[in-house]
Amino acid sequence: MGKLNLEPGLYERAVRAAASAGYSSVEEFVAHCVENEIKRQSSDEAEAHVTEQLRGLGYIQ
Amino acid sequence: MPIESEIIVVSGLPRSGTSLMMQMLHQGGCSILTDSRREPDTDNPAGYFEYENVKRLRQDTSWLPQARGKAVKIVSQLLYDLPATEHYRVIFMERDADEVLVSQEKMLRRLNQPAVPRETMKQACDLHLQRLFEWLAQRSEFTILRVSYNHLIQTAAAEISRISEFLDGSVDVGGMSGAIDPALYRNRSPGQPD
Repeated sequence: MGKLNLEPGLYERAVRAAASAGYSSVEEFVAHCVENEIKRQSSDEAEAHVTEQLRGLGYIQ
Repeated sequence: MPIESEIIVVSGLPRSGTSLMMQMLHQGGCSILTDSRREPDTDNPAGYFEYENVKRLRQDTSWLPQARGKAVKIVSQLLYDLPATEHYRVIFMERDADEVLVSQEKMLRRLNQPAVPRETMKQACDLHLQRLFEWLAQRSEFTILRVSYNHLIQTAAAEISRISEFLDGSVDVGGMSGAIDPALYRNRSPGQPD
C-alpha cells in the first residue's frame, strides 16, 4: 500500500471533511476523492473522443 | 402526460439504428421533425431524418415547443443540452459496439475524416453511455425505452410491440414493420446471426 504526505493544514481540513461526510477515516475519504477524480478524468477524456468522432461524422458542430 | 405534449426523441450513438427508427416511426404515422437537408447516401439509403437545429441545441432551444408530439433525432451526446422545461420520451437505440464502430469508420472514410482508433473509441463509448444513463436516471423529464438494433432486426414484432406500448399505442405497428429491410443490416459483427 502506498503512502501519501499531505501538508498539515490540508490534512486537518481533510480530517474535518471526512468526519462531516460520515467517512470512517480520513484514509477512506482521500481514497474516495482520488477514485472520483480518476473517474472524472477518464469520463472527460472519453467524451472528448466521442465529440471528435461525432464532429467528423457531421452530427455535432 | 399525453403523448401530444411530449417530445419523442430518437437517440443513440451514430450508426446504431437511429435513422431506421425515425423511418419506422414515420411509416407508423408519427409526425417527425426533419428538414431533409442531409440527403440519402450510401451510408443511409433511406435518408437521415435529421433536423439541422439539433446541432445548435446548446445555443438555441427555442424550436423545441414545435417538436411536441413529434419525433426528432438527437444523438446521445446532445441529450445533455435538452432543457428540463419539456418532457421527453426517448427511444434509445443500442447496437453491438463493433458494428457501430465499423459503420462509423466506413462513413468517416467516405467523408475523408479521421477516425479515433477502434479500441480507444470502444472504451470511450462505454464510458460515455455509462455516464449518460446515470445522468438520465436522475432526470424526471426523461422517460427512456432502450431498443436493441440487433433485436429489432431479428425479432421485429416483439420490439415494435414494446415501442408501440411506450408511445401509448399511437403508432401503426404494421407501418413500422414495413420500414425494416434486413438487407440494410450490412455491418454485421461475426457473432450476429444472418
